[in-house]
Amino acid sequence: MKILLAIDDTDNLESRGTGEIASLIAAALQEKGWGSASFVTRHQLLVHPDIPYTSHNSAMCFVAEIEEGHLDRITAFAKDFLNHECAEGSDPGLCVAVLDRLASADDLIAFGRRAKLEVITMQEAFDLAGRLGVHLSAHGGTGQGVIGALAGAGLRLWGNDGRLKGCLEFSEPGSRLRVSELLDHPGVEAVRCVAGGVVRADDLVEIGEKPKTVLLEGASVLLLSAVQGGEGGATWQTLHRKQLRGY
Amino acid sequence: MWRNDQTGAREFTLGKESWGAAVCAALDCSGFAADVDEELVTDDERSCYNCRYRRWSASSFTCQATRP
Repeated sequence: MKILLAIDDTDNLESRGTGEIASLIAAALQEKGWGSASFVTRHQLLVHPDIPYTSHNSAMCFVAEIEEGHLDRITAFAKDFLNHECAEGSDPGLCVAVLDRLASADDLIAFGRRAKLEVITMQEAFDLAGRLGVHLSAHGGTGQGVIGALAGAGLRLWGNDGRLKGCLEFSEPGSRLRVSELLDHPGVEAVRCVAGGVVRADDLVEIGEKPKTVLLEGASVLLLSAVQGGEGGATWQTLHRKQLRGY
Repeated sequence: MWRNDQTGAREFTLGKESWGAAVCAALDCSGFAADVDEELVTDDERSCYNCRYRRWSASSFTCQATRP
């Protein structure tokens, strides 16, 4: 069965980030033989004076393919992990959603999209989780992170929000690769022009500093922008971080 | 470049798109520390926009760094 596991608000100014905690849970799930986890995505939620957050209000989520018998173990492990690993002053939340048991995928997605635009209460999050049949739990502090955790699961399910945690490693920055070579990278599922232009398999791409992919249509997509007079005949370049800020 | 907001926090007055000013401010700051990779927003590594002590607001950010 396929699950979404999302967490939010696990950190403070000095601790390791929520993304690292998500990666550690994903790695443990695999090491224990409970299943296989996909990439971790970061989802930006609303920044608003009425919302308590440490510094950026982002949630982290990954998808895992697991054996049904391990679901309770995984949920218990993640809860225990958050109870022990989360930083002082944080308000951690955990969401575990089994995709084929979701009462309404549309409602979960709508909640995630709302959390990017509106202030939402914890009660709303718990009410929706109950209706959908989704695990949602608080692990210290005010537990406010349950809102982001549920929203993170919804946004990951939507498939059109967020950046992937980590950077792609190719050769040196400044090198040039063909689109077909970029697609050989295990972290790249598609390559697209950010402005909608047509990208061909043999086009040359200038690789920038620490290129990252974004989540579009459920895939890890490397976005490119056109470059005029690129070195060595390159017609595309990977996006700078500034250009990825909106994802 | 800075002012105190209603809560007394030190707010960057130039918003979220003043990339050069955010680099200059960070170069001048002894409290700068880079945030975790997934929260970096510019390739200029030393920038207030990349600092783990910046707290984003709707229009800009406030600085939570402790400076000597």
